[in-house]
Amino acid sequence: MQRLRSLALNPDGFAFDPTTGESYTLNATAMVVVEGLRKGIPPNELAHQLAEQFDVSLEEALRDVEDFMDHLRTFRLL
Amino acid sequence: MAPLVVGISGINAVDNPGPGIGVARCLREAPDLEVRIVGLAYDAMEPGIYMDWVVDHAFLLPYPSAGHDAYRARLLHIQEKTGMSFVIPTLDTEMPFYMKHQAELARLGLRTFVPTPDQYRLRGKDRLGELATALGLKLPTTMVVSSAEDLEKAVDRIGTPVMVKGAFYKAYKAHSTKEALGHYHKLVAEWGYPILVQEVVKGDELNVVAVGDGEGGLLGRVGVKKMWITELGKIWTGVTVRHPLMLQAVERFMELYRWRGPMELECIVDGEDVYLVEINPRFPAWIYLSAGVGVNLPARLVRKALQIPPPPMEAEDYPAGKLFVRYTYELVTDLDRFQSMITTGACGDCGVDGQEGDPRRQGEAV
Repeated sequence: MQRLRSLALNPDGFAFDPTTGESYTLNATAMVVVEGLRKGIPPNELAHQLAEQFDVSLEEALRDVEDFMDHLRTFRLL
Repeated sequence: MAPLVVGISGINAVDNPGPGIGVARCLREAPDLEVRIVGLAYDAMEPGIYMDWVVDHAFLLPYPSAGHDAYRARLLHIQEKTGMSFVIPTLDTEMPFYMKHQAELARLGLRTFVPTPDQYRLRGKDRLGELATALGLKLPTTMVVSSAEDLEKAVDRIGTPVMVKGAFYKAYKAHSTKEALGHYHKLVAEWGYPILVQEVVKGDELNVVAVGDGEGGLLGRVGVKKMWITELGKIWTGVTVRHPLMLQAVERFMELYRWRGPMELECIVDGEDVYLVEINPRFPAWIYLSAGVGVNLPARLVRKALQIPPPPMEAEDYPAGKLFVRYTYELVTDLDRFQSMITTGACGDCGVDGQEGDPRRQGEAV
């Protein structure tokens, strides 16, 4: 989580890791999840937000959040 | 006040660039230092000789391997001609000369800020294991070899691919023992013994350049991640990073070894694993980045050596996320400088007595 919190994130979805120099591009849903996780919002609450904002079922949103968190772990950001 | 005349080597701004032009640009951009730059070259074709907006005068030097007496005599000749009073060597092969003779050179009016021979030996490629342990870093399996037979044993033990590294410069990846032997013979012929055989570790290349004050402290540091490299592994595009383990390792290095002068820490970083690749006893060719991010390390070195107070508004540290982009450029000029270098071994406005810009008209350098 420390790495995720230290990311420099701009509104266009460009993220820069000042520790490793890696950069990432995030789409709109990824931005919601990353910003939410950085604020300490739990995954199921983030799924609710996605379901409200992006016309997707809660079940699908929760699965997507968990998948995305796995990606973040792969990149050692979480 | 007369300008400070600084001799800088490594002005070979080629595809495998020396650090000299970067160092010179840093000094020129220091707001409080009025400098004239003397380029110390080993070949009349070194591009820095012709970059007259960076290098005021240029002189050919004999190679240090030709003998210290000839090298010292040439430096004193340049001092007499230009008023040069400070030298920043930037090439590994020059370091033994400057370290050994730094006190004598200082007595003769040529100041330097380089490590002691003992400090230099401590960071040698053959002592990377103990250095890595002391700095809290990992070391790829590394074997020091001095014969073809030992090399074969090392490759068998480490397993391919391996990196085969020269005593001073160059490293090649080998995918077989035969290929490793080819690199070994080439490196021995060029740089001598010993040769290092090293495990290939995967990860990002992160480097830190720093200057030690010789008393255990740090005058400044800048970390970079190589984003794009040349075939020789030289940085072409990079971005500043602040990797805590690497920054701590540099601080520890300064504390432990009381390093005096510039150094470059080279590491491979894979997640939480930081592998020490080597420590270079000089500025790297990407040193201009330091001035670009507000931590002008060559200027800090000069100020420390000459006890010049830092200017107001000097940045304490550097930000992460600043991009470094190297590019190619061409210049077209008359043959004058080339002719002068070929025939007299010198060029620039110091070659003509009494003309505008001749530092001898401006009195002794500080």
